[in-house]
Amino acid sequence: MKVFSKYISKYLLSFIGLILVLVAVNIAAFAFTFYNAISRNFGSASPQDMLREIAEASSADGITDEAETILTANSLWAMYLNTEGSCNWTVNLPEELPTEYTIQDIAMFSKGYLKDYPVFVWSDENGLLVIGYPKNSYMKITSNYYPIDMLRKILLFFPGIAVFDLAVLFLAYSHSKAKISKNTEPIISSIAALSEGKSINLNLNGELAEIAGSINKASNIINRQNAARANWISGVSHDIRTPLSMIMGYAERIVNDKDADSRIKEQAAIISRQSIKIKDLVQDLNLVSRLEYEMQPLQKEKIRLSKLLRSYAIDLINSGLPDFYSLEINISPDCENSMIECDAKLIARAINNLVQNSIHSNPDGCTIILALQITENSLLLTVADNGIGISAQKLEELKNKPHYMESTDDGLNLRHGLGLLLVRQIVEAHHGTIEIESKPQEGYKTNIYLPL
Amino acid sequence: MEHSFLHSKKILLVDDEPELRKLVADILADDGFFNIVEAGTVETGLSSARQEKPDLAILDVMLPDGDGFSLMKDLRTFTDIPIIFLTAKDEAADKLAGLGLGADDYVVKPFLPQELLLRVHAVLRRCYKADSPLLELDGCTIDFSRAEVNKNGTIISLTAKEHTLLETLSRSEGRIVSIDALCEALWGDNPFGYENSLNAHIRRIREKIETDPSKPVSLITMKGLGYKLNVRK
Repeated sequence: MKVFSKYISKYLLSFIGLILVLVAVNIAAFAFTFYNAISRNFGSASPQDMLREIAEASSADGITDEAETILTANSLWAMYLNTEGSCNWTVNLPEELPTEYTIQDIAMFSKGYLKDYPVFVWSDENGLLVIGYPKNSYMKITSNYYPIDMLRKILLFFPGIAVFDLAVLFLAYSHSKAKISKNTEPIISSIAALSEGKSINLNLNGELAEIAGSINKASNIINRQNAARANWISGVSHDIRTPLSMIMGYAERIVNDKDADSRIKEQAAIISRQSIKIKDLVQDLNLVSRLEYEMQPLQKEKIRLSKLLRSYAIDLINSGLPDFYSLEINISPDCENSMIECDAKLIARAINNLVQNSIHSNPDGCTIILALQITENSLLLTVADNGIGISAQKLEELKNKPHYMESTDDGLNLRHGLGLLLVRQIVEAHHGTIEIESKPQEGYKTNIYLPL
Repeated sequence: MEHSFLHSKKILLVDDEPELRKLVADILADDGFFNIVEAGTVETGLSSARQEKPDLAILDVMLPDGDGFSLMKDLRTFTDIPIIFLTAKDEAADKLAGLGLGADDYVVKPFLPQELLLRVHAVLRRCYKADSPLLELDGCTIDFSRAEVNKNGTIISLTAKEHTLLETLSRSEGRIVSIDALCEALWGDNPFGYENSLNAHIRRIREKIETDPSKPVSLITMKGLGYKLNVRK
């Protein structure tokens, strides 16, 4: 059962697809959310650009008016310290800040904060330009040093760990897939077998033992029901046989009674003919049900089909085939000695059902042809007649309409008659195939292919 | 009567159903059998068999005090008479056919009278040959004991194979015997490819027994099936 692993693979693939889509969505969401911040930090208002702009617009002596306007507009302050550490000029300097700085002060704030104001510095040959941003507007990392060695390692580490993770995930996936498959495949295939009506018996070990148990139980129930049904049919057909023997026997005696009235003889003949129909039905019913529920073990042996066909034909003639039926037998010489493994009794029964069909459909007589040919990989057994045949519509029904034995539909529109159903069952039990051909007034022909 | 020597045979009929027993007895009586012994149980069947010494037993498979198979085993301890089973079960028929219990034939219920008679005649003919070794044909008489044909006073001797062939055919007189059965009688099991030899033997027999061998009246070919021996009525 590849179905299940395919199913799992499909699931995994869609999962991977989903992860990729999610990553893309995350990146897009991130870009969207932080677009402003990024444009601010790296755009014209960013400290870097602002510092350059202000530095260009100012010198040790002062600052241009435009630069001052920009600073005020952005709520910034600025001051210029000379090499002595005192302010040459200031713009918007908060009152809490001094105007004189020691070298220690400068060393401390140049990398970070001046009284909690994030500050950025620009040095030129005369001194130091300091721009201050409002408190809590920027975070400055005051101790940001990383070993180069480690940074290099990180570049390798991230792809490496990603590959490792993926490998672990894949291993876990294939392992669990194999395990699930191992556990579920017997169950799935046994359910498939069950749906074909086959008997099953699952091993009750492992994690899924409970399910296996339930399936075994279901199979047992089906088997029991089938056996009960087959036995019931067999019992009924058995009980009908003895009384039917007497009806048939005495009706025949009246038919052959020289002293009996001709009208009574005619009626007895009808009773006799109809009881033969019941007899055929009873025999077929029992065998059909036993084959249907697999209660009829095939007694296979290697036989020559040519011999079987001849001995069937001889029995038919010897048992008194009326003169208006003629029997033709065509056994191709190249299949004279072809052996085939089959249940001889069942094959003879199938041939007989087809021949009896021809006889019943053509009460005014016909020629019945039994033929045997060899094809590439099978023996072709043909039972045909040159009688009245059947219409295209009837033929279609015969081929496609469900039979009442095989349908749960209780409509009246189902196919009746057991003879052909039995033939098909017997052929199928021998892994053969069957073909029916017929046209009105051009006879009826059944081809049975039995694999060699 | 055609089968007079067969009709004198005594038949034991064991079936628990009195009406069916009566039917079978009537069918046999209609055909000309006049020596029929009836029994309804295994026990009475056995005692009748000991006292009456029948020539053929027809046994039902299902009996009130046992089954027909065990009755057959008991019968076999003191007699070799042919046995035909009557059975209402296809399964029992399978058992009979499959296991070869030593029954001579079986008839599945429900059966037509002629079906039963056919089996009875065939079994009796197979087991009890006619007292006379002479076979009357149109145009000649065959003496099996001397392997000779008497054609209008001319004595023609038969070869062993011809003798076997004619004997096999005469056992089913008036009915077709298959090519396969004839080949098996002549050459044993698996007689593949002997059809041509068989044809040659048939041709030679016709020269010996037929008035006009090119227009046979006694040894008839059934095309594709086998041959039939017609005896003089």
